[in-house]
Amino acid sequence: MRSLHVAAAVACLAVAQLGAAALQQAAPALQERDFLSRTRRITVEGRRSGEGYYSADGKRMVFQSERDPANPWYQIFTLDLTSGDVKKISPGIGKTTCAFFRPNSDEVLFSSTHLDPKSKQYQDEELAFRASGKQRRYSWDYDPEMDIFVLNEKTGALKQLTTAKGYDAESAYSPDGQWIVFTSMRDAYSRPLNPTEKNALEKDPSLFADIYIMKADGTGQRRLTTELGYDGGPFFTQDSQRIVWRHFDESGLLADIWTMTLDGKDMRQVTTFGSMSWSPYQHPSGEYFIFSSNKLGFENFELFIVDTAGTKEPVRITYTDGFDSLPVFSPDGTQLSWTSTRGGGQEGQIFLAQWNHQKAMEALKNAPLRIVNTR
Amino acid sequence: MKRALLIAGFVAYSASLYAQAPAAVASRTKVHVTTLASDQLEGRLSGSVGEQRASAYIVSELQRIGAKPLPGQAGYTVPFEFTAGSKDGGSWVRLGGRLTQRFDQRAEVQALSFSDNVDLGDTPVVFAGYGIVVPDSQGFAYDSYATLDVKDKVVVVLRYFPEEAETKTKAILARYADLRYKAMAARQHGAKAILVVAGPNSPNAGEIIPMTFDTALAGSGIAAASISSRVADAMFGALGDPAKTLKAAQAALDDANPHATGFAMPDVTVTLHTDVIREKRTGHNVIGYLPATLRSSLPKPWVGIGAHYDHLGHGESGSSLAEKADMGKVHHGADDNASGTAAVLAVGERLAAQPRARHILLQFWSGEELGLIGSTAYVNAPAVPLDQMAAYVNFDMVGRMVDNKLSVQATGSSPVWARLIEQANIAAGFDLQIQQDPYQPTDVASFNQASVPCINFFTGTHVDYHKPSDTADKVNYEDLDRVVDFAAAIVKRVGDAPEPPQFTKVDQKTDTAGRAGVRLFTGTIPDYSTEVKGLLLSGVIGGGPAEQAGLAKGDIIIEIAGQTIANIYDYTYALEVLKIGQPAKVIYLRGTERKETSLTPAARK
Repeated sequence: MRSLHVAAAVACLAVAQLGAAALQQAAPALQERDFLSRTRRITVEGRRSGEGYYSADGKRMVFQSERDPANPWYQIFTLDLTSGDVKKISPGIGKTTCAFFRPNSDEVLFSSTHLDPKSKQYQDEELAFRASGKQRRYSWDYDPEMDIFVLNEKTGALKQLTTAKGYDAESAYSPDGQWIVFTSMRDAYSRPLNPTEKNALEKDPSLFADIYIMKADGTGQRRLTTELGYDGGPFFTQDSQRIVWRHFDESGLLADIWTMTLDGKDMRQVTTFGSMSWSPYQHPSGEYFIFSSNKLGFENFELFIVDTAGTKEPVRITYTDGFDSLPVFSPDGTQLSWTSTRGGGQEGQIFLAQWNHQKAMEALKNAPLRIVNTR
Repeated sequence: MKRALLIAGFVAYSASLYAQAPAAVASRTKVHVTTLASDQLEGRLSGSVGEQRASAYIVSELQRIGAKPLPGQAGYTVPFEFTAGSKDGGSWVRLGGRLTQRFDQRAEVQALSFSDNVDLGDTPVVFAGYGIVVPDSQGFAYDSYATLDVKDKVVVVLRYFPEEAETKTKAILARYADLRYKAMAARQHGAKAILVVAGPNSPNAGEIIPMTFDTALAGSGIAAASISSRVADAMFGALGDPAKTLKAAQAALDDANPHATGFAMPDVTVTLHTDVIREKRTGHNVIGYLPATLRSSLPKPWVGIGAHYDHLGHGESGSSLAEKADMGKVHHGADDNASGTAAVLAVGERLAAQPRARHILLQFWSGEELGLIGSTAYVNAPAVPLDQMAAYVNFDMVGRMVDNKLSVQATGSSPVWARLIEQANIAAGFDLQIQQDPYQPTDVASFNQASVPCINFFTGTHVDYHKPSDTADKVNYEDLDRVVDFAAAIVKRVGDAPEPPQFTKVDQKTDTAGRAGVRLFTGTIPDYSTEVKGLLLSGVIGGGPAEQAGLAKGDIIIEIAGQTIANIYDYTYALEVLKIGQPAKVIYLRGTERKETSLTPAARK
């Protein structure tokens, strides 16, 4: 789950909207249809679906969906983008999240709690709870039993890549298929915590989340970020030379987009957007990132693009109320897929649209220079 | 589409941006729509010459694509009788007992449209308060009959619901205050007749209830009439008890105190004659089928696809939204629903050329605009047993797609729909709006009622809805053909699946009994096709309270009289508890601006 639990703190509305006026002033009369056309909804079944990622040939997508009648949580599915056939590839026990195809292979990775001996029990409890008709506010619990696995679709073999206690997820392969970048909260479980930290862990374990890297076989796991605050949602840039991720401040309310090298050096801030900006993903041209931000309203996440170096202010892409986030481009750069509530209701589903790269480049060119203030 | 939903209001812009590669075979949808929506077909009113011409065209097309009449039938048309209008043929009431007084003027007594025609001799009378019975399932105890014995008696009840009750109570009672619902409650308690009077504290105080358009073929099993306050006062006066005047009796009930009850009226009897004249006409459904080509014996071997082909004629049925200058002109109904009719023919033509594991019924309904009469008549006397139908797929207004948006409705009727729709949409690529609710104002509701898994396709409303200007040149044929492709893929999968879809019963969100609760007039035209938080207005009625309050098309009402409005249901409930003539605070959004105004509801007759 590259998503986050948005606590509805009203106080931060003001913060989130800082600079919104400036943004509106600068914005020419662009609309969603300048960038997106033939918007279509590609998931329908189940309570919610999200985080769809393309295979390297663009012919398939792997995504998470709550649609397995025997499991109340996300399970991982592949979707054939020609036939519409859908196949479940996760174990069906416990929670899963954040899948990604390994380029040029039969392998798919995802995170799962199925090895937790209690996960079946939790699952049955949750099913009974939902059957009772009750509902609870959606939240993501950063299950410390979550580990990263890789499935060979041909052989069916499932291999565990991480074992550390603490949430290991939000992982992606490098375009050359040799590396995996991921998010882990293992720091909170691997050393004695002082009382302040213990308290923080109970309240919100994501404070301990940092970016890690490992080889595709799971060896050489290395921590890249150390600052307090949720570092997560990392992906490689198209040239496999850098990692893009989002860094939250300690309050958990403000986040910006950053990049760094594969050894955790040369950290550069790409946005100073005064809002919750997250889920960055680079266009195959390498020219810009697309990301999601609640700049225009605390619970209204819209998509924005920003040039890779972050010299300009972001350009708004979506103009639809509700949740628009977790964007990815198709490998050929002609399509955008993202998770949205635009189909109605509170639950996200996966959407897809034709992407106008020309228009995006033009809009970035016309965007004002970034106002850099101290973070 | 039936006008229980009145709607309108989108600016259509070119959807050609979203055009797919042209279909391999030229589609005939444009020919179908242009023919059906032509002046010669005169708006295809049920039971009219225009309907006959339309049905003749559909029959010729069915023959062309190789569809056959149903087994055992010589032709494709299936007639059904319906009531095109009703009037009072001379009802009267005579009070006996302590007094003798006869009333036969229409201003004093008039049958309700659903009344049985009866002659009732000197019968004892019971005043049953508001005559409201809230079902136990609602967890709210209110039963006007709890302490009364009304068997074989005449009950006198107040119109509407307790006026002074607190808002929440009112909202519940209003749902069970519909005249038909009150009549049913009286009948279930054994009453012979129900007389309704609008109390002095209520809207339309003391007045007779106008005869409403009712398509019922016969009465509802009880004599039902509206009486004026003059008649009611005469009855209460005969009691000789100043505590038991009509006004006092209503006042005692108006806070909805469950302990305030009705009472017998020992000194009064009623002799009653009710006479409702119903004008009968004959409409025609058109049905053909494509026999299965594969020798297999699948369970539930039939799949239905259908659309209503009737429309509003020259607007005589009353649901026309024509501007003054256009009243009486042909209502072409190109989108509503020549488009759906064309889609059924086109899907049928497609499937006719493919192997089929199930029989495909091609069903064209009349009487939809008058209240789903044709499809209701069909499910009451189905040509193919309903439990032999694997599924039913309906099209109602599929010709005006904008921005690639397609609504698929009633998907809650079976768990298979989500999967089938998801799969078919990978190729079709629509921006789908999924609505699970099967209680839609179109023929899909008739099949849902009959426990047949069903879905409906809908491309949204527009400014020409129910107006003469709904013409063939405004239909978006490229996208109509995409809907045909999409639906054909889904029907094919359902038709060839070894296991038929399972039916799921969806609970109705509101109780239909509550419609008459809306007794006031606000002049808003809600847009039912766009999902927003709040109530989006597709227009306001000229000179109505909403217009006077400054509301306009595009405004989103989010609060009325302190009640938050999240959807149309909230709005309906909120309306029920407003007071006529009493200003209510309305908070609404215009663009991003939050505004406030005061709206004073008027009485709906």
